[in-house]
Amino acid sequence: MSYQITSSILGLLLAGIILWLIRRDHLHSHHALWWLLVALIVMVLGIFPRLIDFLAYQLGVNYPPTLLFILGMGMILIKVISIDLHQSDLERKIRRLAQKLAILTDDYGQDNNPDD
Amino acid sequence: MTISIQPIAILIPAKNEVNTVGKVIAAVKTCLIDVTVVVIDDASQDDTIKIAQSAGAKVLSLPFSLGAWGAIQTGLRYALKQGFNTAITMDADGQHEANSIPILLKRIASQPCDVVIGAYPQRGSWLRQVAWAFFRRLSGIPLTDLTSGLRAYNRTAMILLAAPTATLLDYQDMGVLMLLHKAGLRIQEIPILMYPRTSGHSRIFSSWWAVSRYMLHTAILCLAKIKSSKKPKCHTK
Repeated sequence: MSYQITSSILGLLLAGIILWLIRRDHLHSHHALWWLLVALIVMVLGIFPRLIDFLAYQLGVNYPPTLLFILGMGMILIKVISIDLHQSDLERKIRRLAQKLAILTDDYGQDNNPDD
Repeated sequence: MTISIQPIAILIPAKNEVNTVGKVIAAVKTCLIDVTVVVIDDASQDDTIKIAQSAGAKVLSLPFSLGAWGAIQTGLRYALKQGFNTAITMDADGQHEANSIPILLKRIASQPCDVVIGAYPQRGSWLRQVAWAFFRRLSGIPLTDLTSGLRAYNRTAMILLAAPTATLLDYQDMGVLMLLHKAGLRIQEIPILMYPRTSGHSRIFSSWWAVSRYMLHTAILCLAKIKSSKKPKCHTK
């Protein structure tokens, strides 16, 4: 009884924070879908923690918490890799933008440059 | 077949090279008349821009530092936009002799090749030699001087290297060579003389930590870009 209340509170709290962040536009809508999914999973697993036991049993996992950890870590890894991919894309765009800026300022600022 | 190598742009990436950049530009200008000297200022904090401008160079100023290759790519994009047919890159630290440029130009004009590298493989410590031998094996690129900053590119090579695929590179070395190699462009080396640096030091071979990092990064780059072993199209001279 008591551990279900604890996990429900934790799950709802986490889901609530995520939903609040999405609603406040702190998260780009591109990421919002992922986090809505996470919020949903956290909420469901928080309210019905026995679900993981059931799932583990179905998948032949002896010790159910390992399933939870493996799934959780897997999702974190996927997220981190996608962040790095996104980061590399941004780095490329920023570099090209800086180059373009250097080229355009040259076109534009020629006349008012006292040293030219 | 005979596309003119004119007009020619000399691209000089410079970061805090106030002591040498003026002399380098002057040397180029006395050596070659009909070229445009473009200094790409990699967010210098000294008077590099002023010196370069008063020496008569066109100066492109980056809003923040992109590293040596980022600066060179800026120059290549500029040169393409302005319709240059040949781009020469050289260092601002006085390492390269302006006299070498006509040698490179002569080669790129007379022979069917897209890139000419001014090579001086004798330079450098045993450490550098070991690193080069290692990367030659790893990448399958049979060139002798892998990090030379004195290069001539024709328009085909410029277009390839100005593209977004080349933007995440950091140095004008293995990554650039592998891109050219993979695209099947013809690279030639020509022996030249280089001065020891009059100021500053190699950005790559500065400390053991930097060397290790550089080696690791380049090794990963080589492994990522490895090509199925077709016959190499590079020619070494």
